[in-house]
Amino acid sequence: MNRILLLILFLMIPFSLFAQLERKLVNENQPVELIFHAPRHINLLTVEPLDKKSLHFAIMHTFGPLDGGIENLFGLDNGANIQFSFEFALSDKLSIAASRTSQDKLYNVFGRYHVFQQTQNGSKLFSLSLAGGAGVNSSNYKFLPEPAPTFSERMSYFGQVMLARKFSPKISIQVTPMMAYFTDIRPVYQIEGTENLYLALGFSGKFKVTDRSSLSLQYIPNLNTDLRDNFGIGWDIEAGGHVFQMYFVTSQALNEQYLLAGGNGTIGDGFRLGFNVNRIFATGQKRK
Amino acid sequence: MKRLVLFFFFVSNVTIAQTFLTESGNVNFLSKAPLSEFNGVSYKLYGLIDLSNNLLDFYVDLNTVETGIGLRDKHMRDNYLETEKYPFAEFTGQMSSIPTLNPGSETSVRAIGKFKIHGVEKEIEVKGTLTKNLKGELELDAVFEVLLSDFNIPLPKLVFYELAENQSVTIKATLKSKKL
Repeated sequence: MNRILLLILFLMIPFSLFAQLERKLVNENQPVELIFHAPRHINLLTVEPLDKKSLHFAIMHTFGPLDGGIENLFGLDNGANIQFSFEFALSDKLSIAASRTSQDKLYNVFGRYHVFQQTQNGSKLFSLSLAGGAGVNSSNYKFLPEPAPTFSERMSYFGQVMLARKFSPKISIQVTPMMAYFTDIRPVYQIEGTENLYLALGFSGKFKVTDRSSLSLQYIPNLNTDLRDNFGIGWDIEAGGHVFQMYFVTSQALNEQYLLAGGNGTIGDGFRLGFNVNRIFATGQKRK
Repeated sequence: MKRLVLFFFFVSNVTIAQTFLTESGNVNFLSKAPLSEFNGVSYKLYGLIDLSNNLLDFYVDLNTVETGIGLRDKHMRDNYLETEKYPFAEFTGQMSSIPTLNPGSETSVRAIGKFKIHGVEKEIEVKGTLTKNLKGELELDAVFEVLLSDFNIPLPKLVFYELAENQSVTIKATLKSKKL
């Protein structure tokens, strides 16, 4: 019996060679890429990883409320909140970042870790990433009659889990359970919340309209406070190494802690114009 | 029975000796636009040359092509080559005649066949050289041009790199004789 099998096997070999090579992927678990255009989507971080040694630089702005009308050029006259953010990828999975926001002169350091990525063959149905960090409010409170807050009273922290899936080449959605914690709450801080702990659920949506531009949405309902929910709608444009994001949003906050604790205007009336410029520098990569 | 098996073993080996394979050929796509020039390189060219049946078959997984800038690679895969739908660039064809290869000397060959990329198939002619080296391996060198518009691949606009319409493809591979 074995011999016959062996014989059949030998008979098959020469004939099978007339055929072409079998086409097979080098990596069967090819990840789904560009779920979002950039590591930021309106205000929230995304699952979009950076290649090892690349640097993501984001300048983000939000302006005053639109309801001032043309007199304040729809909020542009009112001081902008600006955030500079630098994120550097230590590996394809882990990146570290530092940012500085005008609002309360907050310095933030955070990390982002990609646990796994959605794959084209469906072995992973979604991408999962984690992010967390700590910030310090560096405003000068010498003008206060009471003693200025100490360093530890100025600290705030955030943590979040990002789950995202590209449902089709056009539609991507991310769900982000988020938390923020402030060690101390003072009226002088530029937040509306009165709690130390804030829980929220972030939703980010991308709808690709052309090859290089998308409609973007953001909705962050608060889970444990009476603060209004955050809502944003915008337009992303990919221009090679840059991703420009223009949006209307209900909050001036740009970092995670203030997004959750900062409070929101109403949709429509309380809208502000926002604008992000994302640039990825491929440092240390060899040009071929 | 044993003899029969041995006989077939012998026959298969004769056929096999004319078949050469590689899984690590080198493909280079050179994009030479007026202001920017870059290469896309893959070391994962799979190939077969069957000299007895005059069959050439090559393919490369386009996901393995790297240009040296990660973001450019992602755009290439996602927006231009659409590798999720069309992961391979393939060539299947035959030589105008089966060359007689003398070990150590280079022989010019001409191959005619179908080149397929981005879901579009086109008849092309490729000129190259074949050398049988002293180890009995086949060394293949070939260069051909690919016009992106022939394969419905759009040229990027508004980007930090410029992509040439005409891509020069260089293939370098050492194919080993197939053994059992």
